[in-house]
Amino acid sequence: MPSHFALCIIVLVVLAILGLPIGLAMIGASIFYLLLAGLDLGTAAEQILNGLFNSYVLLAVPLFILAAELMNSGSLTDRLLKFCLVLVGRFRGGLGHVNVVANIIFAGMSGSAIADAVGIGKVIIGMMTRNGNYPVAYAGAITASAAVIGPIIPPSIPMVIYALVSDTSIGFLFLGGVIPGLLLGVAFMITNTVISRRRNYPVEPPVPMREIPRITVDALPALMLPVVLLFGIYGGVMTPTEGAAAAAAYALLASTLIYRSMTWRQLYNVLLGSARATTSVGMLIAGALVFNYVVTIENVPLSVQHFINGFHLTPLAYLLLVNAILLALGCLLEGSTILLVIVPILIPTAKALGIDAVHFGVVVVVNIMIGLLTPPFGLLLFVVANMTKQPLMAVVREAVPFIAMAVVVLATITMVPETVLWLPRAMGYKG
Amino acid sequence: MLTRLRVAGSWLRRRANDVAVALMAIMFVSFLLQIGFRYLLNRPLGWTDEVTVLCWVWAILWCAAFVLADHDEIRFDIVHGLVSPRTQRVFAATSSIAIVVLFLISLPATWNYVTFMKREHTAYLHMRFDILYAVYVIFALAIVVRHAFLAWSAIKGARPEAGSMSDDPT
Repeated sequence: MPSHFALCIIVLVVLAILGLPIGLAMIGASIFYLLLAGLDLGTAAEQILNGLFNSYVLLAVPLFILAAELMNSGSLTDRLLKFCLVLVGRFRGGLGHVNVVANIIFAGMSGSAIADAVGIGKVIIGMMTRNGNYPVAYAGAITASAAVIGPIIPPSIPMVIYALVSDTSIGFLFLGGVIPGLLLGVAFMITNTVISRRRNYPVEPPVPMREIPRITVDALPALMLPVVLLFGIYGGVMTPTEGAAAAAAYALLASTLIYRSMTWRQLYNVLLGSARATTSVGMLIAGALVFNYVVTIENVPLSVQHFINGFHLTPLAYLLLVNAILLALGCLLEGSTILLVIVPILIPTAKALGIDAVHFGVVVVVNIMIGLLTPPFGLLLFVVANMTKQPLMAVVREAVPFIAMAVVVLATITMVPETVLWLPRAMGYKG
Repeated sequence: MLTRLRVAGSWLRRRANDVAVALMAIMFVSFLLQIGFRYLLNRPLGWTDEVTVLCWVWAILWCAAFVLADHDEIRFDIVHGLVSPRTQRVFAATSSIAIVVLFLISLPATWNYVTFMKREHTAYLHMRFDILYAVYVIFALAIVVRHAFLAWSAIKGARPEAGSMSDDPT
């Protein structure tokens, strides 16, 4: 006779495979468990309501989504791309570089890879493919790859979720992502250079000197947002959650007052869009709240810890094992599910092995971002394939060198913790 | 009759959207007030914390009940995408019936929990928790009705909407 918990897992997997939304499947499976275990069925409501009510940090999620939507609906993206064209357009494969650099700058204001791929991709893919200069699939692949930088450089929605499940400081996690994010940017630009030389992709005509000041001034309000955000959060003025609200307010002000590109109808749609996106991930969080309650009363994290202790792994071997598990799961599951369901089970062992929580968090988030690029289930691939009307496999083929480079960066930050921890420590992190 | 129902349905859907937009807007404005009052005027507000959290809880459960379209939801659709439309209907009917049954079974206990919370009040605004938490009952009922409808249309032969995950913000 299988245990109640085993049956609960079976129900969860079956409901998910049958196509039920994952959040709802978790709630359903947990109710089933409560029923079998003879516990109060009201516990599901209690866990979800109290969990949502007491997770103040999660409020950053809707606000960062709102900020990203506001930036995408205004003309901030266009101006930013023009500015990046001035910076890196003159190198071989210039628009590919523009794509990566724009994503790095955008990453400083947005916490969501999907929002970045949609927002920047809409414009840059058009620019790259206009004269048949770049194959559409390549434009899509580099857009999807560069978008993973978004949640690695702060702010970051997945890091907010990790902070929630691991009780780690969001501020230090954010700082820990800066260098790995920049490393990814460099890695992607190297990849783009090599491919562009081999395929002889074009160089963009240089922007006339006299236009540079105007383009810079035009982009300045957008460029200032990351600065405002970082000073606000690290100057001790705002919590990251309030920083998210400030970012959204700034984006709203910039697009209405300075760029004059926002109507009431647009604002309504932006708010509705962010309510929708918030709920998509919010339902997963709700499901995870009650499912993790079941996992906790079943003592699963502790059992996993005992099991892994049996192998006498070194911290590095454990981290590599976690990378392998998360990369494999990333091919099948969506990022928030992994963060909310799988990662909490892995954290106690990491702590017991003395792995730094910020280091572990950044490694986990980079893993999950790579998971957005790996087939069969890679959310970013779907988004750009859909946007460019290309077959999924064509985009995947072009994305392979970028995924490989991302894995190299992942291996580097896994084996050299200083790449993650140097900046937080320089800012006072005692880990 | 059917068109009138459809008109009423779309009117209700738009009003549900209005509520979602209002919740997001209130959450956003409360945050700005909180930051402004604390740092610019040096007079921290207590109630904004409560209002923002309240809007967050309500926004999620309200949208999950009335605003989110099927294709907005995050699901695991690899297997679902591989099987024939007929099997997809069997899948949809089975999972929806399971959800209806599980939510119905837990409904009395849920009601008890929410009404039990009437003794508790929030710290600043002294709002009763049973009223705040009532949104979960609304959510549970909406899920039951929606999935009963989905199961019924799957059995009757309507094609279920294909899943997509483009709204996931990670």
